[in-house]
Amino acid sequence: MKVAYYSPLPPSRSGVADYSALLLPELEKHVEVVLAHRRRFRRFPSADLALYHIGNDPEAHGWIAKALEARPGVVVLHEFVLHHLVAGLTLARGDSRGYLDAMERGHGLAGRLIAFGVVEGRIPPLWETRPEAFPLAGDVLAAATGLIVHSHYVESRARDAGFEGQVWRIPHPAWSLPAVASLQVEGSPLIGCFGHLNESKRITQLLAAFARLRGRHPDARLLLVGALADRLAGMAVPEGVIREDYVAEERLWSLMAACDAIVSLRSPTMGETSGSAIRALTLGKPLVVSDVGWFSELPDEVAIRVPVDEREVETLAAALDKLASDDASREAMGAAARDLVEREHSLPHVAELYAAALEEAAGGGAVREVLLKDIAQAAAEIGIEAADPELGEVSARLDEVGLGG
Amino acid sequence: MRIAVCRPQVPFSRGGAEIFTDELVRQLRERDHEADIVSVPFKWYPGQRVLTQAFLWRLLDLTEADGRRIDLVVATKFPSYCVRHPNKVVWLLHQFRQAYELDRTDLGQFSESAEDRATRRRVERLDRVTLGEARKLFATSRNVADRLQRSTGLDPEVLPHPPQELAYRTDAYEPFVFSVGRLDRAKRIDLLIEAAAKQGVDLVVSGEGPDRERLERLANGRVRFTGRVSEAELADLYARCRAVFYAPVDEDFGMVPFEAFLAEKPVVTTTDAGGPLDVVRDRETGRVVEPTVDAVAAALEIGEDDARAWGRAGKALAEQVTWDSSIERLLA
Repeated sequence: MKVAYYSPLPPSRSGVADYSALLLPELEKHVEVVLAHRRRFRRFPSADLALYHIGNDPEAHGWIAKALEARPGVVVLHEFVLHHLVAGLTLARGDSRGYLDAMERGHGLAGRLIAFGVVEGRIPPLWETRPEAFPLAGDVLAAATGLIVHSHYVESRARDAGFEGQVWRIPHPAWSLPAVASLQVEGSPLIGCFGHLNESKRITQLLAAFARLRGRHPDARLLLVGALADRLAGMAVPEGVIREDYVAEERLWSLMAACDAIVSLRSPTMGETSGSAIRALTLGKPLVVSDVGWFSELPDEVAIRVPVDEREVETLAAALDKLASDDASREAMGAAARDLVEREHSLPHVAELYAAALEEAAGGGAVREVLLKDIAQAAAEIGIEAADPELGEVSARLDEVGLGG
Repeated sequence: MRIAVCRPQVPFSRGGAEIFTDELVRQLRERDHEADIVSVPFKWYPGQRVLTQAFLWRLLDLTEADGRRIDLVVATKFPSYCVRHPNKVVWLLHQFRQAYELDRTDLGQFSESAEDRATRRRVERLDRVTLGEARKLFATSRNVADRLQRSTGLDPEVLPHPPQELAYRTDAYEPFVFSVGRLDRAKRIDLLIEAAAKQGVDLVVSGEGPDRERLERLANGRVRFTGRVSEAELADLYARCRAVFYAPVDEDFGMVPFEAFLAEKPVVTTTDAGGPLDVVRDRETGRVVEPTVDAVAAALEIGEDDARAWGRAGKALAEQVTWDSSIERLLA
């Protein structure tokens, strides 16, 4: 089977580019992959099926969304909130009407009115302030013949948005553990936080909680690694915090390996997974996460979940204190993390799930037709008609075993 | 208890599954249960029709028969386990192997077309649902259990099934090797014929099947093909042979090794035979060799003393698998 594959790829710094770079070699053991090129995306490669990786970044995914619009296919929905993507494809290209229309399709007349406010500069851009309230995923869902998601959260948001096609939930694949040495970084304990450091990563709350931790554990250090968002650029770095900007993959692993625990907070969530959290699990590091979206679905054995509420800083500080004080818990969580990766996130397992999804998506319709035709013909031959209860029974049994849809 | 034992039927064909399920019903009846076979014809080709045929089982209503409740359904092999019942126990003989380990081999049936690939995936999904809903799940061998675990994530208990009742006895260790079973390519009788020819070992091959004509041509008159034999004849051949060859490709379990052991005969098998490797151990209960003509040829050359010792060791193993213990676990 041949699959036309639309995704950002390295050297793009997008998380989805890393994801595809990881997945592709293993996926190619199951299906023939034809890579679609950004500059020639309107020329559709000859294939049984097109697979589109969609995320919120217009720079990385704009061309893919355009290709999807022209030729429906299976969508890997890396996050549910696509407001930034839609704004990038419309407003950023001078297409105000496109943005207004998208907001109206997604949120009715009220949406159009709010969009007017954005276009005219009377209210701040929604993709910066409240994107989660206006996800604008409808157009992508409408063009998707099937969805691959990484979490129950995104699946249920897609269903709530009216998506009726097939959904395959496939865990984020894990990187194999690279042969890198842990760097010597001071700190007892050493807490790590990795990735693009913006407001949704709850950096302010993390720093407040870390300050409390330092009260009980003066030798504690917080390693903050990643590019700092503009709005946080003026932030003072408190005592005990070690800063590193964007680092290359090898150094990232070495720094992570040095940590005793890793914090991966998020709010609001766009429905995304976290590559840093997956790396932390691979390394067998205990995680502290926000109790939202995909992060909520991590098992208790591997992550302490912190609700995003008025007691967030307090709860977070308590979680860090527990990990700092309880070696046995930390070790048990680390072992459980490695087990989870082996069980759910191993690359061969994930590639096999992809192959199953793609094969079902490409031929499932025809298979269903044959089956239903056989049954309909047999029913008709013995005088059972569409309105008869027997066909209702047959339909229920088909759904029960996954042959109906 | 009222128990329905479910098995698919391939009309005009009878093999290990039929023997096993008939015996299971008989054994259940002996223990004062009311047991019966429920069967639906099964035709698994062309590719996409396999789902229609499997789905027939889902439409059956086995909650009652003739106004009386059926307490338990014991399903055995694909697609009989698609049946619905609130108390469904599966004693899995095998899944639809063409969709799994035989896929993309000479013995597979699904092409690379999108429809065939999707059909195969639907079979997987059907298995996950219909085996996953069983109240208890047993597999007839470690090999079958491992395959199920790999393909669906389900984790069955291993419950080997006892061999059919025959008048097992040990008369002699005459210089011939015996093979019994359905004559199809998966049983690899061709490997046996070529190895025996190379080593100058006499063969008796019992059973019928679509590969018989090809095998007879290959044997070129050097092998005695008996066709299907009666139970008495079968017991007699086991009683007289030197050893039994049984080396299908990645077999589920197969009753032949236990039958051979009960006649105190060693079994020659191959390293890729699957289920038989649960009980055939090299130079303990038989020979386990690479699946090549040379290796099998050498393995067929078994002295009478070794045959007797290995056969006896096999018998000790086979005698541990009894209907009493199997039925106790099945109904627990």
